[in-house]
Amino acid sequence: MTSTQTQGGFAGDPAAALDVAGTSGCCGNPPQAAAPTLPDPRQAAPCCGTAAEAAQAGACCGTSAKAEAVASGTGCCG
Amino acid sequence: MSTAAGRPPTTVAAVLGPLLGAVSGERMAATVATLAAEPFAGRRVGSAGGAAARAWLARHLADLGAAVTVEPFTVRFVPEVYAAPDVRWHDGTTERRLAFGRDVAVHLASADEPLVRHGGLAVAGAGDPAGRWLLVPPGMTLFDAYGHAYGATGLLIGRGVDADGWQYTMLAGPNPGPLPILTLDTGTHATLLAAAGAGGRLAGWLAGNTPIRRLDVPAANLHGAWPAGAGPEVLLTAHFDGVGDHPGLRQPAAADNGSGVAVVLEAARVLTTQVPGQVRLSVALLDAEEAGALGSAHHAAQLRRAGAAPLVINVDGAGDLHRSAAVEAGGPAHGLLAALDQAGRYTGLPLAAGPVASDNRRYATAGLPAVGIGAGMAGYHSPADTPDRVEPATLTAVAKLVAAAAWLATRCGPPPP
Repeated sequence: MTSTQTQGGFAGDPAAALDVAGTSGCCGNPPQAAAPTLPDPRQAAPCCGTAAEAAQAGACCGTSAKAEAVASGTGCCG
Repeated sequence: MSTAAGRPPTTVAAVLGPLLGAVSGERMAATVATLAAEPFAGRRVGSAGGAAARAWLARHLADLGAAVTVEPFTVRFVPEVYAAPDVRWHDGTTERRLAFGRDVAVHLASADEPLVRHGGLAVAGAGDPAGRWLLVPPGMTLFDAYGHAYGATGLLIGRGVDADGWQYTMLAGPNPGPLPILTLDTGTHATLLAAAGAGGRLAGWLAGNTPIRRLDVPAANLHGAWPAGAGPEVLLTAHFDGVGDHPGLRQPAAADNGSGVAVVLEAARVLTTQVPGQVRLSVALLDAEEAGALGSAHHAAQLRRAGAAPLVINVDGAGDLHRSAAVEAGGPAHGLLAALDQAGRYTGLPLAAGPVASDNRRYATAGLPAVGIGAGMAGYHSPADTPDRVEPATLTAVAKLVAAAAWLATRCGPPPP
């Protein structure tokens, strides 16, 4: 754990947490210590779409993101 | 609630000081070690280990003074690799056995083939596929590969490995297709792809099986509730299931999500002992998150039917903090986020908006104010997710954050409409 923290809480507007985009690593918190050979969870990986898409689809995956993930053989949630 | 100097007033400090001082990293580390131990076998949904873990957690919750209930449901098509695949490759002169979990794994879309199938190597989309294991080139989708695979023995797909050299395990994914499919680490895949492209005797052969089946299994969430306190209900959640051990490969699921469970239990302990009756508290320890966040889907639907609207704080991963904890929020969570922000400022834990693709999304989708907190995990879904890699300091920091946020959210009252 990094020990140089001096100030806690959000650095910006906490409401930004309501609009998290570019999520991945479906149904299972994405790995934060991944090798370079794995996709960066903050980049445009196929799974799970955005939180808004997931909410619209009534699932934890966006519909189109799930279709892409299944097609590519990547794990994805129901 | 903050003063102009950014410090909480004395009354808040007077409560939060002792409350957070009671948080024990040692106690949480012991919980993680227990959940990650061999008797619980990685806690896959529907497994004997998962049921044993749930029973242990039920006793733990009861010891904390909670009224404990179990809510069963069924999960369909949970994949299980029921034997270590036996995979060997011959390059024309030398035979090499591939190590399960590192060099080779069974693809989620694989058909179940318990018997070792022997075949020459070929490249999908080039030449005759009949009776051969087909190397699927990078960039070719699985569906495209099927189109080139008539009569093939099976497919071989390249897959990256993690920092520890493991092909991590997923339970949620595509349904089985018509062919055996193995994933090879990218280095092995590239070597076989080159050999297959060379053709003739130099192409060599591969012999392998894909022992994977799908099971409909019983699952159950575990709920704990304490005598009602004041203000809005706060629901602390964490999933206790893991992806489960493979034959010959322990996958302890210490950080994912033994750490989250430990945090929730510890936060509940300090809230109910240090400020009893001040927080209207309940806990849900959820099953089947790894199978598609199905436990939280079940619970969120129950809450909707009951007309309940608790403030949901979900923890998924509290083992390996880097700079800041990720927070994802959904539903009418502005008030809850404000409490979390204040808790972060009080405890000194930096927070950053970021993806937490976990049970919190099910509650948010149901219209409940929900936040997910993720503070890192080493060895994601692999044998490397061991208790020694879960940092007690991270456990402590997140448990303090959650306890403080729960208490502050209660004091702030319901979130604004």
